[in-house]
Amino acid sequence: MQDKSPRALAAAVAPNAVSTGRSVERDVVYVYEAPVRLWHWINAAAILVLALTGYFIGTGIPTMPGQASDNFLFGYIRFAHFSAGYVLTLGFLLRMYWAFIGNPAAKQIFYVPLWRKSYWGGIWHEIRWYALIAAKPKERVGHNPLAQLTMFFMFTLTISSMIVTGVALYAQGAGNDSWQYELFGWAFSIWPNSQDVHTWHHLGLWVIVTFALVHIYTAVREDIVSRQSIISSMISGQREFRD
Amino acid sequence: METFYGVIRRQGITRRSFHKFCSLTAMSLGLSPLAASDIANALETKPRVPVIWMHGLECTCCSESFIRSAHPLVKDVVLSMISLDYDDPIMAAAGHQAEAILEETRTKYKGQYVLAVEGNPPVNEGGMFCIVGGKPFVEKLTAMAEDAMAIIAWGTCASWGCVQAAKPNPTRATPIDKVITNKTIIKVPGCPPIAEVMTALLTFITTFGKLPELDRQGRPKMFYSQRIHDKCYRRPHFDAGQFVEEWDDESARKGYCLYKMGCKGPTTYNACSAVRWNGGVSFPIQSGHGCLGCSEDGFWDKCSVYDRLSAIKQFGVEKNADQVGMAAAGAVGLAIAAHAALTAAKRLSRKPVRPAQEE
Amino acid sequence: MGTQTPNGFKLDDSGKRIVVDPLTRVEGHLRVEVNLDSNNVIRNAVSSGTMWRGIETILRGRDPRDAWAFTGRICGVCTGTHALTSVRAVENALGITIPDNANSIRNIMQLCLQVHDHIVHFYHLHALDWVDMISALNADPKATSALAQSISSWPLSSPGYFKHLQIRLTKFMESGQLGPFRNGYWGHPAYKLPPEANLMAVAHYLEALDFQKDVVKIHAVYGGKNPHPNWLVGGVACAINVDGTGAVGAVNMERLNLVSSIIDRSIEFVEQVYLPDVVAISSFYKDWLYGGGLSGKSVMSYGDIPENANDYSAKSLKLPHGVILNGNLREVLPIDHGDPEQIQEFVGHSWYKYPDETRGLHPWDGVTEPNFQLGPKVKGTRTNIKELDEGGKYSWIKTPRWRGNAVEVGPLARCIVGYAQGKAEFKEPADQLLKTVDLPFAALFSTLGRTAARALECQWAAHQMRYFQHKLMAQIKAGDTATANVDRWKPESWPKQAKGYGFTEAPRGALAHWIKIKEAKIDNYQCVVPTTWNGSPRDPNGNIGAFEASLMDTPMADPEKPLEILRTIHSFDPCLACATHVMGPDGQELATVKVR
Repeated sequence: MQDKSPRALAAAVAPNAVSTGRSVERDVVYVYEAPVRLWHWINAAAILVLALTGYFIGTGIPTMPGQASDNFLFGYIRFAHFSAGYVLTLGFLLRMYWAFIGNPAAKQIFYVPLWRKSYWGGIWHEIRWYALIAAKPKERVGHNPLAQLTMFFMFTLTISSMIVTGVALYAQGAGNDSWQYELFGWAFSIWPNSQDVHTWHHLGLWVIVTFALVHIYTAVREDIVSRQSIISSMISGQREFRD
Repeated sequence: METFYGVIRRQGITRRSFHKFCSLTAMSLGLSPLAASDIANALETKPRVPVIWMHGLECTCCSESFIRSAHPLVKDVVLSMISLDYDDPIMAAAGHQAEAILEETRTKYKGQYVLAVEGNPPVNEGGMFCIVGGKPFVEKLTAMAEDAMAIIAWGTCASWGCVQAAKPNPTRATPIDKVITNKTIIKVPGCPPIAEVMTALLTFITTFGKLPELDRQGRPKMFYSQRIHDKCYRRPHFDAGQFVEEWDDESARKGYCLYKMGCKGPTTYNACSAVRWNGGVSFPIQSGHGCLGCSEDGFWDKCSVYDRLSAIKQFGVEKNADQVGMAAAGAVGLAIAAHAALTAAKRLSRKPVRPAQEE
Repeated sequence: MGTQTPNGFKLDDSGKRIVVDPLTRVEGHLRVEVNLDSNNVIRNAVSSGTMWRGIETILRGRDPRDAWAFTGRICGVCTGTHALTSVRAVENALGITIPDNANSIRNIMQLCLQVHDHIVHFYHLHALDWVDMISALNADPKATSALAQSISSWPLSSPGYFKHLQIRLTKFMESGQLGPFRNGYWGHPAYKLPPEANLMAVAHYLEALDFQKDVVKIHAVYGGKNPHPNWLVGGVACAINVDGTGAVGAVNMERLNLVSSIIDRSIEFVEQVYLPDVVAISSFYKDWLYGGGLSGKSVMSYGDIPENANDYSAKSLKLPHGVILNGNLREVLPIDHGDPEQIQEFVGHSWYKYPDETRGLHPWDGVTEPNFQLGPKVKGTRTNIKELDEGGKYSWIKTPRWRGNAVEVGPLARCIVGYAQGKAEFKEPADQLLKTVDLPFAALFSTLGRTAARALECQWAAHQMRYFQHKLMAQIKAGDTATANVDRWKPESWPKQAKGYGFTEAPRGALAHWIKIKEAKIDNYQCVVPTTWNGSPRDPNGNIGAFEASLMDTPMADPEKPLEILRTIHSFDPCLACATHVMGPDGQELATVKVR
């Protein structure tokens, strides 16, 4: 986040976790608290289900043989989509709650500190790093500035609009007197033809897919190149600086 | 002699609720409560509700649909329920005798007539893409709207713009709620609306003595609050995952779901799948063709009739969400592969880097 | 004073000018102006289409398979006929063939439209030009019953039936709220029917209103709804399944029976109500034989209702194909829609712009750029026109000509072409009708002739519906249930560039669409429709169109009440939304109207 010593920062975010006893040669910081980690993996699973079922809902599936009464596959696909949607929505709400009570790393994905000069400096460094110009990466406890930007726009904002459009579309089936319609039916005032809401929801899918590609690649890459633990951090919660 | 009051009494409406209707009408016109009793008096002793049915840029399909009504029969509507004083495709009068009716009605039935509008006004070329009596249609429309008790937008032209407003909308055909801005407009979209929906709406107003409840888009909830999809008899095939894959295939002959043939039923609010068409004989899906979504805003410009996903027309390309998304994801994937290769190449050529430690 | 037109009419605009606007009981918006001489005889006629929508420009860049849905919306009265023309044009361009069953079903739908449209036109758009409703109140129900029973075996003809109707009518009239009958020209001296005939006609006006809604159920069965049934490039969307799993979701025995029963009822209604009414009315108007106009000179029919699928040659078409020029019934000239010398559109007097307005353009090369300019002698202002100047531009309708000739199209034109070709199915009924009302052959070229030809064609169409329904059944019996050909459904199977045309006979006359396809999208689309032929303004050579010609030399009993003008113009069944759909690139922004 900011250019401070990881150890100092670690003390600030999770003083208890900085244990000198755990690692002698390596520095370890406790970054991702348990609720954040749990949310991350549930959310990832929900997105996987939503993306796959969503794609099939958009294009249809090959025709099933037999009587209509013997099959409910498309219905189950849609059921899975709606269920995963609710899991994701609920998870996202809890995650927002945790942003208030959790450590600074838990807040990162919900804002971009564009007003901080040091943030822009960080962005510049990351651009140079990813352009393979900067020789050395910076050690970061949470997300690096560029990652924070990506997280905020490609994930947080996209997921929020997916929840809004998704619930609005769910209201099409639930009916115009449902709470879903009361809550997000205003989407149909912006786009009177609900086909447009479908289209935006569908485009959102591809933003998330693109985000996932970038997210996974950079996580793997930084894990190797920056010599900081990234992937395992989301399991243990600890960030290890290997040098 | 059959008055409006007589008709609604016959339908079992009490005097009290009749008066309530009159006072609501007065309120909607911004008249004083005193005027309410005047209107009540007028309706009791005088007329069936006068209806002025004006035509802008349209194809007359709404009027054609209206006369298809099976219940009530349109002859009963015209002879006993309303007084259809102006409707150019069927009225006996023409020329200045026809034009005179508009002025007469405006003065004689101020605040007591229903204005029904089929089609829409074009506003380019000073409105002269639609000329009535030598003048722009839009002038007559807004003038008649001033003193109307209620305004009905028949069909998708009046409600949303429809085909002449499809891109590039050369005449700038404009839905009526964009030129009549100070009044509630009941939108009855569809190209055309179902006959029985049209007559039901008129008789609802005369029978129950009130205007129908409208949804966010100004459509009567009673007919437009659910999708074709919600009441489609082919819905079980949708849930089962049984689709028509191409025209006249085995699935088509078995009456499977038309989702993959571009059916817009899942996004179209209308009563087709429940009320059905032409006295309940059929509706598009029942006869093997997907729903066009003809009661929806801008349905002409969303995508082809046979596409499942909307076309996205930006930067001169016309693709659907999947094509745009896959292209974006593909490009990012390639960029990642390239970046990974460069990273690997760099690592092989140099020693491992150490993170910068600052203090 | 006066000028002679090349097509043989003497125009004199020196007399009193009468303006009829809106000319009601037509589809869309029409204005007619005439000059009368001192005896109130029409010596100059000007017809102006006063609306413009622009479907063709809107079509550019779209999927050709969707074109039927757009062009179908050109008109909701002759609903479906533009859609049929469009799918034929696309199939012609892309070389797509349709199965026999699709041909039969399309023919049934097109004929159903003819039957429906003719009935609605005669009773609801045209009858009040011949029938005085108020006079019906003075009729004797018993005498009316006797009259009705003398001309037809239609069961709704008892004295009690007419009595009851008369009471209802009286009550309606006494309410003082005449609804659509308000301000009609009741009591006009040009009304000739006795009260009993008027009462009978009013009864049939209402019966026809009830019945017409049933005729179009055929469209609902095969096309899903009416108005605006659905069509499909490559065939029809309704699959046939009479004896298998899921037959209830397709065209099955119950659906076929429904169609058959409506066909039977249609034949019954046309033969027992419509035709007898036309004969009865004709017999009272035998000395009002005005309105012939171009019909005795130049008429055109493209032909329609192909016997064999995909064969649109004159041999296969059951409605006649050809042009007659200058009253020469011995020669019927063939039409080639692809020949750039034959069908051309001019804009000299239309509110459009061409680089060279003395020349016409073939529809494949059609240009449609709006140009709202009034002539120098116009009275009034740009947005408040009192009188048009026919010397300048004066209509939103273009001016199509066949080899430079103004021609009339429609049921009378079809009847004359068929008659000239000696086809028994057109000649015999016409001769029979003329004999019944004791009129010579020349009487056919009149307003009355146009109205009678429509009735005869309606009868023919009803019987043809039955023929094609039988053909469809026989085909299914033989095991052929195919309704669509999807070999070239996907755009990948199309050539990079293609052009084609499709034509039909709409209820109002000859209709054709021309399409150019480029990279699977519509590159250019042009429609030339019946009311464009009939309602066209003057061409650069000064030939007047069918509407204007038909009004010439008609005496008016009361210039204040232009009943005669309505009667003759209505006999064409004008459709202005059709005639004026054509459109070019964006018009100049001249809006004075505020939009939210």
